[in-house]
Amino acid sequence: MPGEVASYAAIVLLALITLVTRVAGAELLRKVAMTGRLKAFLDTLALAVLVALVASFLAQHGSREAAAVAVACALMMLTRSPILAMVGGMATAALWALAGG
Amino acid sequence: MSSSTTTDAVTLTRAGVVSGLLRLGPFALFAVPFGMAFGVAAVERGLSVAQALLMSALVFAGAAQFAALELWAAPLPYLSLALVVFAVNARHLVMGAALAPWINRLPPALRLASLGVMSDANFAASHAAFEAGGRDAGVLLGGGLALWLAWMTGTVVGLGAGASIGDLDRFGVDVVMVVFLAAVVTGGVRTHRLVPPLAVAGAVAVLTLALLPTGWNVIAGAVAGGLVGALRYDGSTDAG
Repeated sequence: MPGEVASYAAIVLLALITLVTRVAGAELLRKVAMTGRLKAFLDTLALAVLVALVASFLAQHGSREAAAVAVACALMMLTRSPILAMVGGMATAALWALAGG
Repeated sequence: MSSSTTTDAVTLTRAGVVSGLLRLGPFALFAVPFGMAFGVAAVERGLSVAQALLMSALVFAGAAQFAALELWAAPLPYLSLALVVFAVNARHLVMGAALAPWINRLPPALRLASLGVMSDANFAASHAAFEAGGRDAGVLLGGGLALWLAWMTGTVVGLGAGASIGDLDRFGVDVVMVVFLAAVVTGGVRTHRLVPPLAVAGAVAVLTLALLPTGWNVIAGAVAGGLVGALRYDGSTDAG
């Protein structure tokens, strides 16, 4: 588990980076125009990083986690409710453990 | 007041902030369970209560915070944490740019105050209000405050629950981060055009997992996906 100082430093760093992303979009437009291609890159990047995170998590875990993610994705597609998707995914992982998997 | 033109002055008033609070208040209730999930996940990941509260208070970005937890291990990989959080929040750049025609007519301090709490929901509400002729950035700030309060409330409750439940894996809490991120992605794929770049992102992240230091395979996958998205852009439609 990371140390106290290191953790606080990381939290402040992440807060500053997030603030920059919130403010920089409008600031940049004072200087340059947002092109369609740049917008396409940024739009795709925001989802691509999440896919990359989920994919590398699944590559390092087993079928219990894969089943939980599959159920969450299916519930999200069917209901469009992120809450239901999360609860369903967690329930899948919990039941998997109960079943001795 | 004259009908809206791009030369109208933009203000940030107390009435606007109240209007934003009221408009986003009901919607903000939906942020409470996500804050709870984050609080529980933060406990599971070994963050102290103070650290988790500070992160929710200052970062105030759900997907980015879950992504950071995913990489939270000693020694903390600062650079990959920074790049991953930047990439998760890259959509803020697009949202800020969309608000620029109005927001940039405010003085710098008010720009910082209102954009500083910009999130998906209050962005959508204030953009719609500006488009409809509204000229009060208080909707963005007030809406952001409503969402922030809900996010903090959820985090506090989740931290309490996480600390008292005990063995969390039994309840599937260890997968809360990954199922949340998977749900966000599934909800975000509004057009089939996004499928090829996202498939590339996942494939690159997995293939480089053993080759790169902690978190860098995620950056590699994200950038590869983003580039495929940009290269496939044909000028006709939005990527998202």
